[in-house]
Amino acid sequence: MKKKLFALLTVGILSLSLLACAGNGGDDAPADEPAVTDDAATTDETPDDTDADDVAPTSDVTLEFQQWWGVELPEGFLADLVSRFTDETGIQIELLSNPFADTRTQIMAGAATATMADVVGLDGSWVYDFANQGAISNLTQLMADIGMDDSELSAQVQFEGNTYMIPATNFAYPMFVNLDILEEAGITDMPTTWSEFIAASEQVVANTDASGFAIPLEASSPHGVQNQYLSWLWASGGRFMEDGRPNLVGNSDLIATTEFVKDMFDNGVIAPGSFTMREQDMVEEFTNGRVAFMISSLAHLFMITEGAPDMNIGFIDIPVMDGYTGQSGMTVANWGLGVAANSPHQEEAMMFIEFLLSPEINSALVVAASAFPGNVNADPDYSASPPLFLDAFEIFQRNFAINEFTGLPTAEDLMRSMNEELLLFLDGDTATVGEMLEATQARWEPVFN
Amino acid sequence: MVGRKKWYAKVVIIIALVIGAFFAGFPVLWMVRSSFLPNPQIFALPPIWISDTFSLDAYRAVLTNPMQIRFFLNSYLIAMLVVVFTLIVAILASYSFSRFNFKGKSFINTFIISVQAVPPITLLIPYMSLILFLRIFNTYWALILTYMLFTLPYAILMLTGYMNTLPKDLDEAVLIDGGSRRVALWRILVPTAIPGLVSVGMYTFMLSWNEYLFALVLTRTNDMRTVPVGINLLMGQHAFEWNQMMAMSVLGSLPVLALFLFFQRYFIAGMTSGSVKS
Amino acid sequence: MKARAKQIDVFNRKSTPYLYLFPTLLLMLTLIVMPIIMVIGYSFFDNVIVIDSPEFVGLANYISLFQDSTFWVSIRNTAFFVGFSVLFHLILGMTFAMLLNTRYLGNLGKAVFRVIYVLPWVFTASVIAILWRLMLSPSGVLNYLLESFGLIAAQVEWLSNRQFALMSVTFVNIWAGYPFFMISILAGLQGISSDLYEASAIDGANAVQQFFRITIPQLKPILISLIMLDFVWTTQQFALIWMLTGGGPINATEMLSTFIYKQGFTRNQFAMASASAVVILLICTAAAIFYVKVQKARD
Repeated sequence: MKKKLFALLTVGILSLSLLACAGNGGDDAPADEPAVTDDAATTDETPDDTDADDVAPTSDVTLEFQQWWGVELPEGFLADLVSRFTDETGIQIELLSNPFADTRTQIMAGAATATMADVVGLDGSWVYDFANQGAISNLTQLMADIGMDDSELSAQVQFEGNTYMIPATNFAYPMFVNLDILEEAGITDMPTTWSEFIAASEQVVANTDASGFAIPLEASSPHGVQNQYLSWLWASGGRFMEDGRPNLVGNSDLIATTEFVKDMFDNGVIAPGSFTMREQDMVEEFTNGRVAFMISSLAHLFMITEGAPDMNIGFIDIPVMDGYTGQSGMTVANWGLGVAANSPHQEEAMMFIEFLLSPEINSALVVAASAFPGNVNADPDYSASPPLFLDAFEIFQRNFAINEFTGLPTAEDLMRSMNEELLLFLDGDTATVGEMLEATQARWEPVFN
Repeated sequence: MVGRKKWYAKVVIIIALVIGAFFAGFPVLWMVRSSFLPNPQIFALPPIWISDTFSLDAYRAVLTNPMQIRFFLNSYLIAMLVVVFTLIVAILASYSFSRFNFKGKSFINTFIISVQAVPPITLLIPYMSLILFLRIFNTYWALILTYMLFTLPYAILMLTGYMNTLPKDLDEAVLIDGGSRRVALWRILVPTAIPGLVSVGMYTFMLSWNEYLFALVLTRTNDMRTVPVGINLLMGQHAFEWNQMMAMSVLGSLPVLALFLFFQRYFIAGMTSGSVKS
Repeated sequence: MKARAKQIDVFNRKSTPYLYLFPTLLLMLTLIVMPIIMVIGYSFFDNVIVIDSPEFVGLANYISLFQDSTFWVSIRNTAFFVGFSVLFHLILGMTFAMLLNTRYLGNLGKAVFRVIYVLPWVFTASVIAILWRLMLSPSGVLNYLLESFGLIAAQVEWLSNRQFALMSVTFVNIWAGYPFFMISILAGLQGISSDLYEASAIDGANAVQQFFRITIPQLKPILISLIMLDFVWTTQQFALIWMLTGGGPINATEMLSTFIYKQGFTRNQFAMASASAVVILLICTAAAIFYVKVQKARD
């Protein structure tokens, strides 16, 4: 009686392990599929197939590079780039792609289960969390180990004094202008101050079907707070942080910026649907001639000129607070690189990052991505880029690059709570700017303690 | 008099059918339209219904990309295997629920329903550790077993309900004649339950076909990924490939609809089996 | 010898139902029980997943959860979302199934309409979300149509207006989910013996009476199962809401699922996320127990 039950159990366990074994290597996956979970352990990985000829350097290391960049680059571009690395070092690179919106989720799951790819694409707003969690490696240490010179890097994102992410590309956020709409509205002088900007926008709304400006404030990806709201603050020399702590309450620059944004809403110059608009939607609105001005990533220029080849587009300096004469900050976002703490090939991973940031490779990458280089000595050849790109580049060089969210703890959540408080203020639930900033600061404080 | 009433009813029903079809089909029509347009024109206002720039570029882009083709093959393979396995396992379980009384029946029943009550998003990390422990991470098995887990509760519940409507004499007669339970189940009950099996199979296929979160997290190389992940891969940080996403969805749905067309005759066939009942 | 054979026979008879359940139970016990236990465990700790040695905090997570006003907003929104979704899934699924079962349509006509009606079901949630965002945007086709028919005076912000957002999200979910009911009910309708209808027709019952006296009672077990499962699934619906509105504007469409996601994956508070998950588990288990009781009472 017991025997039968026991036999049953044995069969069950056996069949399960069979299933597991079959799953591990038995299916019809291509033979060159790397040993899947082994990279987490310290066991030596068997090389895939070292079919390299005698001259090329050989290595039995295969690195995985997880990123979301492929879809934004010309087809096959990234694969060509990494094959050059393989030619140079013999190290194989396997490209793993994932959707941008879920990259963070996937890295978190990968970090918790030690299955992160060796080299990971990062956004500056995630660095604090992953570094704090011990998911990504200390690059300061690794750069020293492989003798990499960090003086050429345009920036390094740090946590507790050490570098954890190196930006490979910098995406600037200049102000795009639809010159056709401006002409139709009878505007000849470009606005340089906030009051001129509101006047121009009102003129657009009065004389055309278009809106003046668009702010995407959707909740799932709250980057509009950074790119289209705080860009105004930074352009006028303002800051929301002070000595590493949030300084929102009583910050006169921030108060003025928020009131300015509220004014734009109240005057009806903002494109409808703001509260669930995403940056991608905003760009489509602009491309379809429904918005006169927008602050957006320069990476969109190619898309817009391709989608609306007849549209006359221009770039202007982001208008500043009336009376401000200092230098303007321009928001930058980047594609950053980090090394997974669970990678058994730390040095090789760092070498790959060094390769991507070498002047020649970095130049090719940023030209393809419509971005600015992560290596200060890179000399990208933008001659094939639209001439407008150079106008934007010129503006970028006049300004200084800034993004205060980079490296902050749970930066994305900070943006999200600020986003919610901003919407409450714009929608009239919160009576004054002071209250809104107090509420935001109250939600931010616990993170900084 | 009766004839007139019938005519009246017919018109009302046809009108209702057309309104329903508009509700169900218009968004899909819009999707098909968008798949034929260049990206910016999708957003034009007034809307462009049929454009002179009508193009198959999006379809060409999807169909010439070996990676995307692989996504389709993976999705079909996984969904079909899940259907087969889920149906077999669920038939066995629902036979047990429908034809036996045993200790712990209602407990097991409650258990089967409530295991799916934990939001997948919280299970993600522990579940992923388990899949790694079983050494099936980044394999078809990881997804097949996961989707079986998701589809079994519904499959068992529905098939149990279905078998309950089939009279017990039907299979007991076999046992009395000295036949085995295997014969009673597979030769008698299962063929009679085909409409139920088809609808459960449809559901199982759809869930496996459309699931995204676990497909994303439990696989990592492109050769293991499925269509929903492929569609989301087209949503970049800066731009969405709207038309390709739509084209991919349209392409993916065609074989599914063909399958549905093929199997729907079993809904109608079910009518005749009414005679064996009660 | 004979006694032993009898013993085996008794055992066989007793073990048979478990044998048939064995594959199901094996799969569930191996794959889902452990993760669920871990999630329940997490909910009593602090800093789980993020650091290696989390701290036991007892019920503290639950207490701060119940003090969080967003949690209660998400409960309210989830109740609205689930309630109306399930109700309209049932109504639409039933209506369409009855329409498709009509005698007034030829086989080809039925086939065509069946395919059209099942369409919303064959698309993945992210595409459904993208598609409806496109159509519901202020400059989208829905506003265009309504404006051309003179039904609205100005563009309506279906998703970005806090008054309409929850309604719109629920509507999209209804659209995406009814085919599942429709297919199950269609299958159930075929299981009803035509004798029953013939007998009642002889008694002079009209179509409406037949519907309430035969169709509904005969479908009842299937309907109850469908409602039960839809309740559990809709409570957890995440992808669609997240891709449509992200839980916004502000928290107008915040559901338990989006709330949990934000807790876990953007604030790194996996313990809090687990506590919220346990709350859902409890609600759904209560519903499951109730359901099994109802089913048992009927047997």
